[in-house]
Amino acid sequence: MVPVNLHRIRTLVLAAILLLIPGISAFSQSDTLADTENCLLCHRYPNMGRYDEFGKKRVYYLNAEKYALSVHGKLMCKNCHIGLDTIPHTEVKKVDCATKCHIKEPSTNLEFSHANMIKKYEASVHGRGTPDNLKPSPEDLPTCKYCHDNRMHNPFDGQWGLSRALFTETLARCKGCHTKDRWAQNFYTHITHRMRKRRPPAEIIKLCTSCHEDRDKMARHGLESIETFKDTFHWIEIKYGVKNAPDCISCHVPLGYATHDIRPRSDPISPINDSNRIQTCSNQGGVQACHPGAKAKFATGRVHAYGTKAQMLAGRQVDEFENLSRDLILERAELDISEDEIFHFRVLQFIKLMYKILIGATIMFMALHQWLDFLSAKRKRKKPHHGR
Amino acid sequence: MADNELALDAEAPAAPEAISGERYFVRLNYSERAQHMIFAGCFFILVITGFMLKLPEGFLAFFGQAGELLFRYRRLLHRIAGTLMILVGGYHIYYLLCKAAGRRWLMDMLPRLEDLKDMRDNLLYYLNIKEEPPEFDRFCYKHKIEYGALIAGTTIMALTGLILWTQYQWSKFVVDIAALVHGMEAILASLAIMIWHFYEIHFRPHKFPLDNLWITGLISEAEMEEEYGRHYKKIMNDPELQKIYIKEKSDRTPKSYVLNHK
Repeated sequence: MVPVNLHRIRTLVLAAILLLIPGISAFSQSDTLADTENCLLCHRYPNMGRYDEFGKKRVYYLNAEKYALSVHGKLMCKNCHIGLDTIPHTEVKKVDCATKCHIKEPSTNLEFSHANMIKKYEASVHGRGTPDNLKPSPEDLPTCKYCHDNRMHNPFDGQWGLSRALFTETLARCKGCHTKDRWAQNFYTHITHRMRKRRPPAEIIKLCTSCHEDRDKMARHGLESIETFKDTFHWIEIKYGVKNAPDCISCHVPLGYATHDIRPRSDPISPINDSNRIQTCSNQGGVQACHPGAKAKFATGRVHAYGTKAQMLAGRQVDEFENLSRDLILERAELDISEDEIFHFRVLQFIKLMYKILIGATIMFMALHQWLDFLSAKRKRKKPHHGR
Repeated sequence: MADNELALDAEAPAAPEAISGERYFVRLNYSERAQHMIFAGCFFILVITGFMLKLPEGFLAFFGQAGELLFRYRRLLHRIAGTLMILVGGYHIYYLLCKAAGRRWLMDMLPRLEDLKDMRDNLLYYLNIKEEPPEFDRFCYKHKIEYGALIAGTTIMALTGLILWTQYQWSKFVVDIAALVHGMEAILASLAIMIWHFYEIHFRPHKFPLDNLWITGLISEAEMEEEYGRHYKKIMNDPELQKIYIKEKSDRTPKSYVLNHK
């Protein structure tokens, strides 16, 4: 039964159209998507959208074919979009990834939801905390969709080589028994999705630095900008487009860890906690053993170059932060950076300074000397020739 | 005294072929030239493959898929050239200590007090305060500074390079220092070679565009007398030294050499 609000003529007209669903849906249905809710009646039009009250462009168009191929392709719209029961959709709520979506999770036969992941995520460094104990500036923290923008990043590539061919070959074998093509393909991509890095290293860096290189945002949480990563050899490999180059995930979410569960360095279950570093650097048992020979004294050292925190602790002038931020960063810095590391920082800075002076002085002397030689040679040329 | 710069001018003397019994002086013997060539080749490869690490991200995007391959060969080449350079350096030490020519080189290269005097006098000459430059021995202060810098630089680069190569054996702090020093020393060495050495062999007015001493090992008598007067006199007064350093012009003297050193 279609809800009808008699006070609103517009709604009435739309409701009248909806009454014709059985007839029209035959035309609106795409080959790929069983649009039983008939959302595509309107949402198939590419121009459908509006500018919201903040001037942001909202697109309400749905490409049925692309949607059917996406990870959520088997879901109905209303499984996630709650409050679509009236037209126009006035009561619509923001999608909550913890919603139970009526798909049965085969291992437990319970209704599926991402609530599991969200629970882990909320306990991680990126979580906002509980409603009664929110972290400061919770709006800075990334929500599900900030990272899961579900673009097609790196579809059939990575550790297993040019696996477009692999995809075709192995899927063909699945289809031998599982005769429903669409089902077999969905199942196959569901599994192999977990075997691939969806984003190439440079994309990972771009995603993480979109927040972590924002000095002000980081300062609000007592963190330093991680542009210092770009002083490492790890970054150089990424810069060259090496496929399995070490990005943020490689060390912060190595083998056996979950992206949703990133913990601060001080937490003993963090992969970058000193006690777990050898495994993290060597990545033994992983697809690629990165530093198989890593020993404790190598693995427990500093990886990113020294940044704001070390500068602050060493008593150097750093860019102006608000007093509150400065205190926050200092507080964390004292926890994160040991006396030894401050000493290391000072030594490295000293060597750098000495070399700068040495290079400056040497090159100035050399340039001046050779310039004088050139002038004297020119002068000699002008003099009358005095033979042997 | 012949004026070498003027040798290229219109009043240049007759073609060298016309002069009989012309003498050349040996500056670099066969082994020294070979050492120099291998060392210089390695140096170029090391500079290129090393500073490739500093290329900006946008520039590297140009290589696209080839970037990974480029990176692998960069590393391999850098290590091959580095190893070869260390081997040549090791051979050079052997040469200095165990070969007669090497020991002569070492003795002539040792810094002496008169080098300081030479430097002062030469700078005064550059500043047009003195009329004539000082007379130099086989190696003048310029050579000794450069040679000293080369020894120190190669040692530092070799040590830090080996630390980086065997990084697991060291603490990260040592690796960080090695990486920093390797990079800074590379800047110093490259700039020094470009400004000091390239000027000496390419841009000094009578050397332009390239001194071919590194191939022939020889210089003309006129240049010898002009540039290394003290050594020239020593040779002329000592028949033993004459056997070592003087080479009569023969048909085997490379033609390119003759052309360059009219």
